[in-house]
Amino acid sequence: MSEEHAPRPEEDRREFAEETESLWRVTFAPALWALHFLACYGLVSLACARGLFPIGATRAGLVGLTLLVLAGIAWLGWRGFRQWDVHSTGRRANPGGHAEDRHQFLGHAAFLLAIISFIGVIFVSLPLIMLEGCR
Amino acid sequence: MTKEPSDTAPRGPFPPEEAMLAEPVPPELDAARTARLRAAWKAPTGWRYWSAVNNTEVGKWYSLTALFFMLCAGVMALIIRLQLAVPENELVSSDRFSQLFTLHGSAMMFLFAVPMFEAISILILPGMLGARDMPFPRLSAFGYWCFLIGGVFVIGSILFDAAPTSGWFMYPPLATQAEGPGSDIWLLGLSFIEVASIAAAVELIVGTLKCRPPGMRVNLMPLYAWYVMVVGGMILFAFPPLIAGDFLFELERSFDWPFFDPTRGGDPMLWQHLFWIFGHPEVYIIFLPSIAIAAMIIPTAARRPIVGYSWIVLSAVGTGFLSFGLWVHHMFTTGLPNISLGFFSAASEAVVIPTGVQLFAFLATLMAGRVKMSLPMLWIAGALAIFTTGGLTGLMLAIAPFDFQVHDTYFVVAHLHYTLFGGMIFPVMAGVYYFYPFIAKKLLSERLGRWAFWLIFTGFNVTFLPMHLTGLLGMPRRVYTYPTGLGWDGLNLVSSLAAFVIAAGFAVFVWDLVRPKGGQPLAPRNPWDAGTLEWTHDVPEETWGVRSIPHVTSRYPLWDDPALLARIDAGRYYLPDAETGRRETLITSVIDAEPMQIQRVTGPSWIPHVAAGFTGGAFIFPTFHLYWPAILCGICAVSAILWWLWRDTARPPAPEDEMRDAGLGLRLPTYAAGPSSAGWWAMWITMFGDATAFSSVIFGFFFYWTAQPDFPPPGAAHADGTGTALAALAFAAAWGLARAAQRLNRGGRREPARLALGAGAVAAAAGIGGLLLAVAPLSPSSHVYPAILCAIAVWIIAHAGLGIVMLLYCLAGSLAGKLTPRHDADLQNVMLFWHFLAASALVACAVLGLAPGLMTGGAP
Repeated sequence: MSEEHAPRPEEDRREFAEETESLWRVTFAPALWALHFLACYGLVSLACARGLFPIGATRAGLVGLTLLVLAGIAWLGWRGFRQWDVHSTGRRANPGGHAEDRHQFLGHAAFLLAIISFIGVIFVSLPLIMLEGCR
Repeated sequence: MTKEPSDTAPRGPFPPEEAMLAEPVPPELDAARTARLRAAWKAPTGWRYWSAVNNTEVGKWYSLTALFFMLCAGVMALIIRLQLAVPENELVSSDRFSQLFTLHGSAMMFLFAVPMFEAISILILPGMLGARDMPFPRLSAFGYWCFLIGGVFVIGSILFDAAPTSGWFMYPPLATQAEGPGSDIWLLGLSFIEVASIAAAVELIVGTLKCRPPGMRVNLMPLYAWYVMVVGGMILFAFPPLIAGDFLFELERSFDWPFFDPTRGGDPMLWQHLFWIFGHPEVYIIFLPSIAIAAMIIPTAARRPIVGYSWIVLSAVGTGFLSFGLWVHHMFTTGLPNISLGFFSAASEAVVIPTGVQLFAFLATLMAGRVKMSLPMLWIAGALAIFTTGGLTGLMLAIAPFDFQVHDTYFVVAHLHYTLFGGMIFPVMAGVYYFYPFIAKKLLSERLGRWAFWLIFTGFNVTFLPMHLTGLLGMPRRVYTYPTGLGWDGLNLVSSLAAFVIAAGFAVFVWDLVRPKGGQPLAPRNPWDAGTLEWTHDVPEETWGVRSIPHVTSRYPLWDDPALLARIDAGRYYLPDAETGRRETLITSVIDAEPMQIQRVTGPSWIPHVAAGFTGGAFIFPTFHLYWPAILCGICAVSAILWWLWRDTARPPAPEDEMRDAGLGLRLPTYAAGPSSAGWWAMWITMFGDATAFSSVIFGFFFYWTAQPDFPPPGAAHADGTGTALAALAFAAAWGLARAAQRLNRGGRREPARLALGAGAVAAAAGIGGLLLAVAPLSPSSHVYPAILCAIAVWIIAHAGLGIVMLLYCLAGSLAGKLTPRHDADLQNVMLFWHFLAASALVACAVLGLAPGLMTGGAP
């Protein structure tokens, strides 16, 4: 990770290249929540309103999808937690002005967003398990 | 990605060293610089004052106008309450009552809550970021004048007994079949304002991304800036579905295309979906920026840094995402399958978690600090109490069976007013008291402020708490009167009386705001001992924003760096001078805020007024079915905007001006193109919103297919295959030619580039022709299937028209020397537009040409 450096051309492109992975991690967990949500709503509508596929199979398939999505979010959260690096640095908040602080902050944000997305996915999949049919 | 020529790369030391910062500036040099800077940023005087574009002026007009509309809507609320005070009252007629509640809701949402966020942000965000102004001041001014024209048009309709009557969410078929121009005034007037809102959102996002002070990395941004970014992003995803809905709705009102008419295959539910995909995030679009004000006031009141900065960022982003999964909780009684309701019910409960995290972080900050119960803090305390109550009834309403019981009753009215007063009015009032010394350099009265607080707080609770009960006793919303003997009489009378206590509180507040303060001493520079950059403002006022743009290394620079203020004032930091006499601000990188460019900022001008006036005409004339004047206005608006862009944006600097001294030994380029430039980001963000709107129209197509057994109807005429194929090929070719033009121009081959630009425009015109040919066999008023195909074609044709104008603009720029191989910002931005246009055109052609075949199981 780069520390302070002289100004250089195309600063934005270089910064994004440097933090691509953590920026993906920050946006990916909530994006997975959103995709999971749309899949649940969309496929159930197609099953119920359009009758394209049986609702039982749809529910089972979506529960399977839920497990996959949860695993994905958990992995993202773990990577974020590692990037936050609270164990070795002991710094919970990252209020400093160095590149390292920014990097750890992005890790922390990714970790927390993964937690909230994880909970969100569990909430949204509860009706799949608890409600039957298309009534 | 092409390489920048190395002679325009930033040069010099960064970050600045302590010794450089400590070096004094000779007094006579400083005086000369100060004078030049003051002259460059001087606000125009006399009648020319109204041509100002400074964020300080536009922000003031914007917020006062929003306040005025809020007071108008408040008066409407008082008339509503007077009418409901006693049973069987005949104060106003049923129709007038419908106009009142429709306009009360619409004005509070579209003319007050969202514009107020934009107004306050335009006013204070540059200060927080140590920027001199927003990146596109004339765009803010354009947005403001659009808002003023549209707002007066919409709210003025009630004076002519012509206001919309169908409720603020305009459900069809009631609204599509309503007589008179009311529904059209709502649709077109508010669409016009939504366009202005999106313009402001783009400006605020770009301001936060590219105009931060050097060194302010993403982990150091003031929380307000984080919220602005989240809310700006939400506006870009939430408003476009409504604009798409308005587009379909107005096509039905004006040309009888039956999108929402079930007798011809339409479906009123599509409007409900589109409206609430906008409408629920809208609640958070209003709530988050207001709570952002709390996030600025609370650390100051507690006199310590915020507890859980990352947690608050998480909850802002998390709320932003989750709020898009709640929309159907407004539609629990529309007969969707229970399991679908369950998803939305669950998501509505889940959104409480991030919302709660913010409130707990605030409480933790207050507990960990030494709280000073200042007036702003009092309003914040009131906000937290009221919002939490509203949140709790929200949890009840998110449970579908409970919602079935109280749907459309006064319980809902009570709930939404609790969330909006607690989540918006009270924090904004806190913000007014807190930021008033920053804005007007005077303090508001402590005594009047406490009076206003207790009047509004008490009045609010006595008005709205009983409404929960009125609702549970079964009183429906939006009835203009009610019979006696149902147990509603006393509760309504109490609500009506207390409404006037709220009004008295606002009267005290408005008096405090507008009373002459000439004899009052100037406010101290940092009256609350805050730690963020806006409190480095100058008292008495200077219009330059900040004397010199500081280098920032912490979240609360005023607390952490005792030398900062003196150095800013001494012109020790960046851009201490305006050597060319022009307005400039510093552009920094998105993640780490490294200095990248000195950007020229536009000054006072009448062109935003001209553009806003004609844009207004283009939206307002169709209300009265005057299409030719509207088209004429549209052409004039486009011409005015082209003139504005041509004269003042992205002009190549003189060769000796390519690189300039930014202070502290740093030399920066004055021209940027592509992702380094603010304009490119603005285009990218705008196109994101545009793509969302287009997706909503496409969603409409698939919605009809999902919801109806015979879509497309058997035997229906389909789009012409040859025309569709021609359109797809032509648009792909136009995109390829634009891309080639960009490459050729970059490589210095200007003649072939011009040829490609011209050919691209011709190809795009051929694409338009192809689409017209494709929809020629359809008759859109016969059924929703041809109607939605035609709507998609209209959308693409309008965008392709713009795409042609842009290509020709670049061609003209190349011929006139505005666009050169090195100075190709215009062309890069146009290319971005064409990426989105080509993608939407191909999707449109696929829907027109392929989807019907797949759906009916045979070739169309």
